[in-house]
Amino acid sequence: MRGLLGLAAVAAMLAMATVDANADDASKYPDLKGVWNRVGAPRWDQQDRTYKNAPLTPEYRAIYEANVKDQEAGGQGTDPTYTCLSPGMPRIMNVYEPMEIVVTPDTTHILIEHIHDSRRIHTDGRPWTDNVEPSFRGYTIGQWEDTDGDGRYDTLIAETRFLKGPRSYDSTGLPFHVDNKTVIREKIYLDKSNPDLLYDEITVIDNALTRPWTVTRKYQRERTRFPIWRESLCAENNTHVAIGKDDYMVSADGLLMPTRKDQQPPDLRYFNQARK
Amino acid sequence: MLLQRSLIASVLAALIGVATAAAADDSKYPEWRGQWRRPPGVGIQWDPTKPLGPAQQAPLTPEYQKVFEASIADQRAGGQGGDPTFTCIPPGMPRAMTVVFPMDIIILPEATYIIIEYSNQVRRIYTDGRDWPKEAEPSFLGYSIGKWVDEDGDGKYDVLEVETRGMKGPRSFDASGLPVHTDNATVVKERIYLDKANRDLLIDNVTTIDNALTRPWTVTKKYVRDRNPIWFEYNCTENNRHVQIGKDNYYVSADGFLMPVRKDQAPPDLKYFKQGQN
Repeated sequence: MRGLLGLAAVAAMLAMATVDANADDASKYPDLKGVWNRVGAPRWDQQDRTYKNAPLTPEYRAIYEANVKDQEAGGQGTDPTYTCLSPGMPRIMNVYEPMEIVVTPDTTHILIEHIHDSRRIHTDGRPWTDNVEPSFRGYTIGQWEDTDGDGRYDTLIAETRFLKGPRSYDSTGLPFHVDNKTVIREKIYLDKSNPDLLYDEITVIDNALTRPWTVTRKYQRERTRFPIWRESLCAENNTHVAIGKDDYMVSADGLLMPTRKDQQPPDLRYFNQARK
Repeated sequence: MLLQRSLIASVLAALIGVATAAAADDSKYPEWRGQWRRPPGVGIQWDPTKPLGPAQQAPLTPEYQKVFEASIADQRAGGQGGDPTFTCIPPGMPRAMTVVFPMDIIILPEATYIIIEYSNQVRRIYTDGRDWPKEAEPSFLGYSIGKWVDEDGDGKYDVLEVETRGMKGPRSFDASGLPVHTDNATVVKERIYLDKANRDLLIDNVTTIDNALTRPWTVTKKYVRDRNPIWFEYNCTENNRHVQIGKDNYYVSADGFLMPVRKDQAPPDLKYFKQGQN
């Protein structure tokens, strides 16, 4: 009888250990499945639409104002994405198209159809290294935290370095410093009272700014059993044409056209044929 | 005594059951993490066992053989032929599985994600038992439904069978412009599995059924794994010097001027410009 009780006790202990192992792997991360849509317009600061309060240095305030004038005249200013260049970080988190978040123990994948906006947040404990090729999305290391002590992770803290340019915060052309030494820190978590609302508190540290600048992006979850992920391709039917430093457009009837009043046509010195 | 033996048996069975359940949940899928890339020396032609171009011996219909030959002639003259990707539209399926730049595979019970750096393509292979949708917007990658198979009966899945429908164009099999039919009624079937002798070799038997072909065409793609990857970013549109204006393609020279791609190519029509032409 004692032997039987002992065996039962061992069985119970092993069973608990096995369940805990499963629970540890499967449920220690928050449920971030589903389709996440941005809340509001894809503008960096949705309160300060003209960015008059953006903490830009005087030098970059002047660059921004020149960019605004250029855009008003028909140009693209300092927004580089019209040729389908990646928006890069942190602009990717404007979430132009719906976002999917796939959590695995070593990486959290953020998948967004827009241009080249998918990113990896490495959560495998790797250290920072200098041997990283700069990229538009940068290199991101993160760690999960259990901030409420309930045994489950609820917050993903991430830092992104090694960015390249040109980048801007959004389509207004609000610029980053050309030195591309931007560092981005994020705190990503679900709303405690609404698990279908996700926050990303994004802090940008950049030499075009007078201080770190934090905004909070929100995303609303759509729980669809079989979501359809629409393919969004900037390069398909993109009518913007960049020739050297000038930008043009292709008209609906397939001909080159100016984007600014009195814009010169492109220099055709390399063509032998008679011009039209 | 009989009761004791019976109880012991029950406890042992319960233990085994728990262990089995744990093993089934955690390990029933194969381990495909890491970075997968084309093996060294393998090019970007569709059938990797044959050279690019006519040597692919693609089973094209007579009509599409002519389309292919015209593509090759145009490419020889400086054009892009039937390869539409020079403007950075994605290659789509099945060409995505050439994996020009490395891929990442994430397996979840409801879907297998294949993330390919070339053109930032994210394939979702749905394994949640869904039916084909009645309506789905065609896409370059198409819509993929898969199912896992335990071929060797060892209790673990080892083969992912996939079917992809709902593609759009223009697409080609590879950079030679080897064409698919303009009706885009392509169906792609795949069997994806690890090599039994080398767990760092992934095999994809890709069968394409398309109206440009006289029969289903199967090629075998292979990928080797790097378990400590460095992921680099590839942006097609960065420094892309190809310019398309209407139906014509041009190039931007190193010094930033528009230039022809063919001998005696006419410049673009500048009728919308007011200023004096150059």
